[in-house]
Amino acid sequence: MAGGYVQIKRMSLFMRLNHWVVALSMVAAIVTGLYIGHPYYQTLIAEPAVEKFVMAWNRWIHFYAAIIFDVSSIVIAYLYFFSRFDRPIVKLIPNRRNIQEFFAVLINLLTLNRIKRFDSSHEDSFHVVYFTIFHLLLVWMLLTGLQLYVHGLAHGQSSIGSWWPALLHFFTDWTIWATGGTLMDVRMSHHLTMYFIIVWILFHIYYIIWRTIFWQEGDVTIVFGGYKFKRVKG
Amino acid sequence: MNREQLRSLFTAKSARVQTNKGEAYYNALLARCRARLDQLRRLPSFTNVNLHEVLADEGINRRDFMKWASAMTAMLMLPASFTPLVAEAAELMNRLPVIWIELQDCAGNSEAFLRSDGPKVDEIILEIISLEFHETLMAAAGHQAETQLEDAMEHFAGKYLLFVEGAIPIGPGREWCTIGASGETFEEHLKRLASKAAAIVAVGTCATFGGVPAAAPNPTGAVGVMDVVNDKPIVNIPACPANPANMVGVILHYILTGQLPELDSLLRPKFAFGYRIHDNCERRAHFDAGEFVEEWGDEGAKNNFCLYKMGCKGPMTFNNCSIIRYNESVNWPIGAGHGCIGCSEPDFWDKYAYERPMADANIKMAPGGGVEKSVDEFGLGLLTAAGIGIAIHAAASAIAGKRDEEGGR
Repeated sequence: MAGGYVQIKRMSLFMRLNHWVVALSMVAAIVTGLYIGHPYYQTLIAEPAVEKFVMAWNRWIHFYAAIIFDVSSIVIAYLYFFSRFDRPIVKLIPNRRNIQEFFAVLINLLTLNRIKRFDSSHEDSFHVVYFTIFHLLLVWMLLTGLQLYVHGLAHGQSSIGSWWPALLHFFTDWTIWATGGTLMDVRMSHHLTMYFIIVWILFHIYYIIWRTIFWQEGDVTIVFGGYKFKRVKG
Repeated sequence: MNREQLRSLFTAKSARVQTNKGEAYYNALLARCRARLDQLRRLPSFTNVNLHEVLADEGINRRDFMKWASAMTAMLMLPASFTPLVAEAAELMNRLPVIWIELQDCAGNSEAFLRSDGPKVDEIILEIISLEFHETLMAAAGHQAETQLEDAMEHFAGKYLLFVEGAIPIGPGREWCTIGASGETFEEHLKRLASKAAAIVAVGTCATFGGVPAAAPNPTGAVGVMDVVNDKPIVNIPACPANPANMVGVILHYILTGQLPELDSLLRPKFAFGYRIHDNCERRAHFDAGEFVEEWGDEGAKNNFCLYKMGCKGPMTFNNCSIIRYNESVNWPIGAGHGCIGCSEPDFWDKYAYERPMADANIKMAPGGGVEKSVDEFGLGLLTAAGIGIAIHAAASAIAGKRDEEGGR
């Protein structure tokens, strides 16, 4: 290749770790969540109930994945504004430059890389908007999920004190109203949002591989080594 | 701010069941109840029936009666020291006039009430309580019945408890439902009776949330009492039918304290609707173990496995069926092998009462109910659409990329 490549750091170690923690939690939450919504295996095993704990383990994994998820989302939300490395919020402000970049990247995607009029070495507005949609979906899962969770704490107690269910009611009771007025609406919304998240993941993986193939800048390696490469015209 | 203030700030009062409110609270309440009962005792009774004579006639001894009183005390989440007062309140039930009206209903709650348990409470209710008006039970008919209602309303103005059974049509179909010779609509009828009531008890899911008449497409625009009457205290006792034990509990509580019991955000008494069916279900161990009935009558069903996969909505339904059961605690739906249909929750007919879990069910997705698709079918459709989109883009990209290379680079 004429001119060669320059290495550009795009993700810090923490960001990469966080990405894979989120990815694993996501897979765990989807696999166990589908079971909780509709138990699809191991229902008729000739063993007494004390020997197994299938639904309970599924719920256990689901809740742990969810909590890890929620906490990581809070950290990411913080980094959006205060990261020392790369603050996504800068690319999210709807100013002239960002809007232009957003459409430039969108046109690049829609024209199958025929037109590419932006600097692809740094995170672009289109990608940041796409990630923000993911985090908003996650926030919705967090709120509806915790609302479903707190139904079982009607006595107002929890292993960490009575403030916890109280806090959950305070912050998530409005989701009942927002989804249609019944507890079942919250459940349906939680279930449905999962599909939007799966669709999000599908496109995310596809788009990163697509970028890698067509931009020829090694985008897929960002999440492993933290670097991508920018072609330098010689 | 101290800890208590913080807690009160963050505690959604409607969602918390406090079973122990401390000695000071109960001592004060005891004194209040004592005074209230003494006051009631001085009032003339509306019927000449004596509770203990009735009980003796029915072959129920004092010991059985006290057993019932302690069970009722526990159900109302009061300490055991209240048992004598609860017993006394039952004796004084004849000081409480009750008017019971039926609107868009099936009389199922009346049926349940007549078959209520406790001290063979059906006798208590019918002979001790001063049931002034009840369309289905009364001997009077026509103008005679109307006169009786007017008399009761005048005589007990501001004192009677108004029990409402059935939904109220307020939509375009309201004119199909009228009552009496004057052609009063149900809405007018309810408002007129409510205006002179001390409080209203809405029994059954129709009277509380609209219930079955309000199910999609809700041709009559049916709603619950709380959507029509807003200037009177209302207690909702949903379920289909409402559990008679909870009706008796509310009446007893009113006689005992002169107040309505503590309510949640849907105006349901917390003593009855504080916990989920699921939390006290006898099949809960099978749920946690992942043992589910797959089809009616299969091996799982024979072994009392969890009914979640058969559409049981116990995990989303707040009611005390799993604790007090029905028909003198003989049994209840899940005990009989059928899942809970969530009958004490709003919109239960559309959103809870289907045979499979939510993920499998045909739920109306669009407002108004035009398009019926299960959540999972919709999700799979979404995934397919996304997959096709990605495939097209990938194929197009591959072809375009090839052309680029051919284009000479």
